[in-house]
Amino acid sequence: MTAVANLGAAFSVEALKLRRSVVARVATLLLVLLVPLGSVGVVALARSPRAVGATAAKLADYATGDLATTHLLACAQILSVAALVAGGFFLAWSFGRELESGTAGALFGLAVPRGTIALAKCLVALAWIAVCVVVAVAVTVTASAVVTAGSGASFVGAWAGARTALVAGLLGGGLALPFAWLATVTRSQLGTVGGLVGMVALTQIVVLLGGGSWFPYAAPSLWTGMGGAAAAAAVGLPHLLLAAAVAPVALAAVVQTWRRLTDV
Amino acid sequence: MTALRLDNVTHTFGERSALDRLTLTVRPGQVTALIGLNGAGKTTALRALSGRLHPTDGEATILGHDPADLPFDVAARFGHVVDTPLVYPDLTVTENLRCAARLHGRSRRAAIPAASAAVDRMGLEAWRHARARTLSMGNRQRLGIACATFHRPSAVILDEPTSALDPQGVVLVRELVRGLADDGAAVLVSSHHLDEVARIADEIVVLHAGRDVGRLEPGGTDLEQRFFAMVLDADTRAAADAHTTTPGGRA
Repeated sequence: MTAVANLGAAFSVEALKLRRSVVARVATLLLVLLVPLGSVGVVALARSPRAVGATAAKLADYATGDLATTHLLACAQILSVAALVAGGFFLAWSFGRELESGTAGALFGLAVPRGTIALAKCLVALAWIAVCVVVAVAVTVTASAVVTAGSGASFVGAWAGARTALVAGLLGGGLALPFAWLATVTRSQLGTVGGLVGMVALTQIVVLLGGGSWFPYAAPSLWTGMGGAAAAAAVGLPHLLLAAAVAPVALAAVVQTWRRLTDV
Repeated sequence: MTALRLDNVTHTFGERSALDRLTLTVRPGQVTALIGLNGAGKTTALRALSGRLHPTDGEATILGHDPADLPFDVAARFGHVVDTPLVYPDLTVTENLRCAARLHGRSRRAAIPAASAAVDRMGLEAWRHARARTLSMGNRQRLGIACATFHRPSAVILDEPTSALDPQGVVLVRELVRGLADDGAAVLVSSHHLDEVARIADEIVVLHAGRDVGRLEPGGTDLEQRFFAMVLDADTRAAADAHTTTPGGRA
């Protein structure tokens, strides 16, 4: 059996586990329904006469400008974090439960090596997040088309916004991969979720201190304008490439850690 | 050729010694039972042999290879259940078996009949489409053993394979183990059930405090008595050794 056939076997097994996973089902629903609903809803609220005081000030960025562009801008901002969190939760479950429940021990001595199984887990997670991101953006575009058609506004700006949302969502999903490594070394699902929460908090601190553009976990969100126009302008291709580089580095670390796994 | 081998294996967890220079071999066609009290080191020995634990000292081999890194053709002839089996609660019985078949190197097409045959062989027909989480402990154990042995491996390790089984399941596993050995497999089982190991084992190794303290003949009705006598003798000798090696102990 070739390495490709081994990876195919492991991929099909991990894909089946994902389809049966409650974590993945809940996260999928949140990504493909809540993100579009939130994107369109936050813009509607910002432009509603009911938005006054602190709410109006908070949503000021969404209150003006091209309607469809703003829908997709909000989608990009939400997805950049939602894809990271959804991916992190799923990877905490996918890797952590094998080690917590003891099934990781049963993955020794198989024809498909452990490193290949770990690689398949990561690829399945990435593929799932990518599909969710594409669907979430597609649903947002559709919802935006319906809203703009009803109001007679232009829809042209939606496509550029959709590209931004896709890139931000995919980058967010890729940034979840280090949590597969964390789940492996901590052997704990909850410990990994704690690490994920800590990383989100750390990102906030780094952004507050003004160092966000070179911090991979902050760059995608800042690029979408979550930190304002000036912060978005400070994020360029090198910063996004650095964020994108996290996924392959984490992938290599996870595979290597699973190859050397012992005492399970 | 020795199919399963532990060679002078020592392992410690912190200060606690779990295995002390244990040497164990299982030849093809042979069923070896590892018996001992709780904490004797049985599961640690099986974990070292299945590659899940890198021993502090010594060497483990499966069909001549490092168990932590088996080549494909060797891994395809190996099966084990130590502690937790390769069973996922979210998957059905059939799905679990198909996953096990794929991970044991079967193609997608070959995995389907292999899973179906294993369901029939282990008496799990009624639960074919049931999620593993809904199974009784005994049926989960049957499923775990089925996932590890559906491919008729040449080297098999089973940790307490009958611990949760009803009498029918015990007979089924006994026939499976004997059948595998009759086909030429080397089988290593650990058990607390002395009467059960007396029925299936060709050789019984007594493990106590991480050490091999002797062999018992499988036949006879007084296996339990002989086991406790051997354990007591080992404790007595260990106490005497400790006395003589303690400063002033000879006095």
